[in-house]
Amino acid sequence: MSNPALLSLHQLLKQSFRVVEQNHKVWKSVLLECSPLVSSLGNLGEQLRALKNVQVPQTPLGRFPDLQERLHYKLSIAVDTVMGKLGEKLDAFEAVRDAVSKQVSAAFQFYERNTGTLDIACCVNRSAVTPSLADMLEWLQDTDRYYRLQFLKRKNFLQTLKSDDLTLLETAPKRWESLSSPNAEEGISDMLFQVSFFMDSE
Amino acid sequence: MDGEMACADLMLRGLPPDRSDCGTQRCRMGPAHMSRRGLNIGSPLLITVQGASCLCTAWPRRDRAEGYLQVDAKCASPDFSTEHASLSSARMKPVHCPKLKCLKVIVLVHSTEYKKHTSKDTVRELVKEMLRGLYVYEKHWVNVGDAGTEVKFIVIENVNSGSNRAGLVTAQTCLEIGTIHTVQQYRGQLQDTGHISLGGMDDIHASLMEIINLPVRYPGSLRKVGVPCPRGVLLIGPPGVGKTTLVRSVVREVGAFLVTVNGPAILGSRPGESEENLRRMFRQAREAAEEGPCVLFIDEIDSLCPRRAGSSSAPENRLVAQLLTLMDGIGSEDCFVIIGATNQPDRLDQALRRPGRFDREVIIGVPTLKQRRSILGSLSEQMPVSSSVDLTALAEVTSGYVAADLSALCREAALQAILHPSQDSVSQVVDQGHFHQALRRVQPSCLRTSLGVTDLRPVSWEQIGGLEDVKLKLKQSIEWPMKFPEAFVRMGLSRPRGVLLYGPPGCAKTTLVKAAATSSRCSFLSVSGADLFSPFVGDSEKALAQLFRQARACSPSILFLDEIDSIVGSRADSRVPHSVQAKVLSVLLNELDGVGLKSVERRGAGQRTCQTDGLPQNPRDTQMEYQEVCNTGVMLVAATNRPDALDSALLRPGRLDQIIDVPPPDTEARLAILQVCTERMALDPDVSLGELAVRTQWFSGADLENLCKEAALLTLHEEGMDAPTVQHKYFMKALQTMKPSLDPQQMEQHHQLFI
Repeated sequence: MSNPALLSLHQLLKQSFRVVEQNHKVWKSVLLECSPLVSSLGNLGEQLRALKNVQVPQTPLGRFPDLQERLHYKLSIAVDTVMGKLGEKLDAFEAVRDAVSKQVSAAFQFYERNTGTLDIACCVNRSAVTPSLADMLEWLQDTDRYYRLQFLKRKNFLQTLKSDDLTLLETAPKRWESLSSPNAEEGISDMLFQVSFFMDSE
Repeated sequence: MDGEMACADLMLRGLPPDRSDCGTQRCRMGPAHMSRRGLNIGSPLLITVQGASCLCTAWPRRDRAEGYLQVDAKCASPDFSTEHASLSSARMKPVHCPKLKCLKVIVLVHSTEYKKHTSKDTVRELVKEMLRGLYVYEKHWVNVGDAGTEVKFIVIENVNSGSNRAGLVTAQTCLEIGTIHTVQQYRGQLQDTGHISLGGMDDIHASLMEIINLPVRYPGSLRKVGVPCPRGVLLIGPPGVGKTTLVRSVVREVGAFLVTVNGPAILGSRPGESEENLRRMFRQAREAAEEGPCVLFIDEIDSLCPRRAGSSSAPENRLVAQLLTLMDGIGSEDCFVIIGATNQPDRLDQALRRPGRFDREVIIGVPTLKQRRSILGSLSEQMPVSSSVDLTALAEVTSGYVAADLSALCREAALQAILHPSQDSVSQVVDQGHFHQALRRVQPSCLRTSLGVTDLRPVSWEQIGGLEDVKLKLKQSIEWPMKFPEAFVRMGLSRPRGVLLYGPPGCAKTTLVKAAATSSRCSFLSVSGADLFSPFVGDSEKALAQLFRQARACSPSILFLDEIDSIVGSRADSRVPHSVQAKVLSVLLNELDGVGLKSVERRGAGQRTCQTDGLPQNPRDTQMEYQEVCNTGVMLVAATNRPDALDSALLRPGRLDQIIDVPPPDTEARLAILQVCTERMALDPDVSLGELAVRTQWFSGADLENLCKEAALLTLHEEGMDAPTVQHKYFMKALQTMKPSLDPQQMEQHHQLFI
């Protein structure tokens, strides 16, 4: 433990894990906020479909002028509103991703600068409380990749949604659910458990 | 330094990557190995295996085991694989990867629809996001399928405008997107465009090229004329003539995209699944056609589209109906060509064979002599063939061989050359002897299943005593057209259609035919009543017609009907007017001199005149042309001992035009026969064959052979098992007990028949 570079890298890693921990909470809460929005999007899709199928002039409501167009307009506005809200959530996701990414790349850069003093034997050395440097770097990289991939998927999902393609709107909640990868998310929680002793050590 | 030298040839074993490492671009190896090579965690590394390479980052294995290598091929050449490979560590080179300023890529997406509806900016943003933080290498494919978007691969075109080969993509990298393709199309383009050599199909090849090229190259002029371009071609031909290979070669030459439909792949178990699969194939072809010429190839179309009237199964009929509607539904704007191939055109649904669906039908027949020569030429281009091999002679002896048989022949010859290298030649060269050995093993496939194929023991003309004028006549009608086609063409002669040998039993009719078959290089088919007759109505006629069809397919050929009187009979004196014999006779008459052939049986490239067009030609080539003109048909050879029982329609010129009397042997002939029979017997010098010949009036050839056998047996009987020679007295003794089988009265009748 006399290696100063190792000590400062440990400090940096601890900091990174803290950032990951905080951001993971943020991510999960934002994701929770998203699900009602997405399901309302699906609901709106169903309403639009119903509106499309019904022949308003043949119902008792036929006396109201332009009812179909008005309803359609209203629903479209609603879809746009929900999409706008989802867009805001997307910004929150992006913030999480950027924060994690910045921290992880800082840790990697520090490692790369100090490869002279941190040889492989030192990197793979591990103890009961301290996981090896290689493992911790790997976890960080995996976490970074997870957030990036998730953000990419969700952004791509929202981009492909169009208010005129009803099938896409209707199936939105299901597809939104299928975007999350529980395994990788569990991996982050596991990682945080595994480094908890390390983070508590001074 | 010593350590580095030692590890230079260290072998690592390739294993598939862990699931958790998928898509991470990591390459796991033992930590000791990393430190020996001076690698840090995450340093980029180029791994080369059999010409393909992969760029990845070095990471220590979690279990710290040495000697293994697990590579995640996120960024690699398209054909990279480390599984089951052991690679030396010298194949792994650290690469310097600077941060990239600019990057040019090709994007491969899953469907054409996405390509059409998505703007380039969106794609660029997506791709940039995907590539960030990755190490990339020139000409590698980055697999981004795990993101679940429509973009599947990113092909790195160049890095930093070509000044570097590898680098790290960062947020600051400027990304340029070259083109967007679908994965399938790009893979199709990448496949090697090597030419498939095809022999003897030039004209068909050219006409297919024309059909595919027309709508692609000249869409404007076609529109101006106001005709929709032809869309369907049906290839018809017996198995093995190269229908599939022809399509492959044409497609490759035009550079078209090929969508292949296989019957078994289309048929599904659920109701409606087959139709859905078919629709999917057509959709795929339509999408591909938007980007370039496209060919939809349906191989073995008879299995997919059988005659609807004959089959009672509803799913099959639905599939046929679906295919028909799909073929009709191709609008004039989608220009893709449908090519179907079959060897049983009769089993296709009639609705398929009309203009608008399959506009053209191209018949590829069994190759003729010249075509065989050209096929052999193109096959042997790749082989180390010695200069002694005479391909023309080889083409002459391989009558009835289709392209697949010829390629099997060449393969067998090459194998012979490898397995039994001749002593004098050091280098492995395929020579004529190898081809002759291969000929013995490879039989033409059109004769494999056919009835009437006989494995006859070769008989030479010399083994038949006497009958010189009969032999001459047979040679005239069978051997001469093969040997002197030029003279036949000059004299305006054609080969006789049929030869009838008649004569009393036991006078070597069958043996004569055997000798004729041995001496000419024709295919020889022989059939007896047992092969033809069957308890089912109409079966015998069908069998005979099929026999003729096969004989024509491997022409020039000789079809031998022994005891023809029992097979066909006569219409005149038949007590039952509609017997099977009469029906078989009518089939035979039609096959011999009918109106014409079925169009499906067409061979070669139509009729060609054998005039040389001013070019100085090899005399061998000229002869080949004459051969083709002259020897195209089937020759029927029939033998009977009751010519009076034959129908008169059969005996007219044009059917059995040569009627040869095989007379009972006279004294000289008997002497000759006796000489042939006693050739292998140990004769006492006192035996006088001349005297025997005089004493054996009315003996047939078979009787004489029997006499010799009897005499030899008598010798063994009287003198014990170690008798040295056969003496004259035993011949005489045997003669006393034997009666001639011919009878003078019968002979008289025979003679009066045709004189």
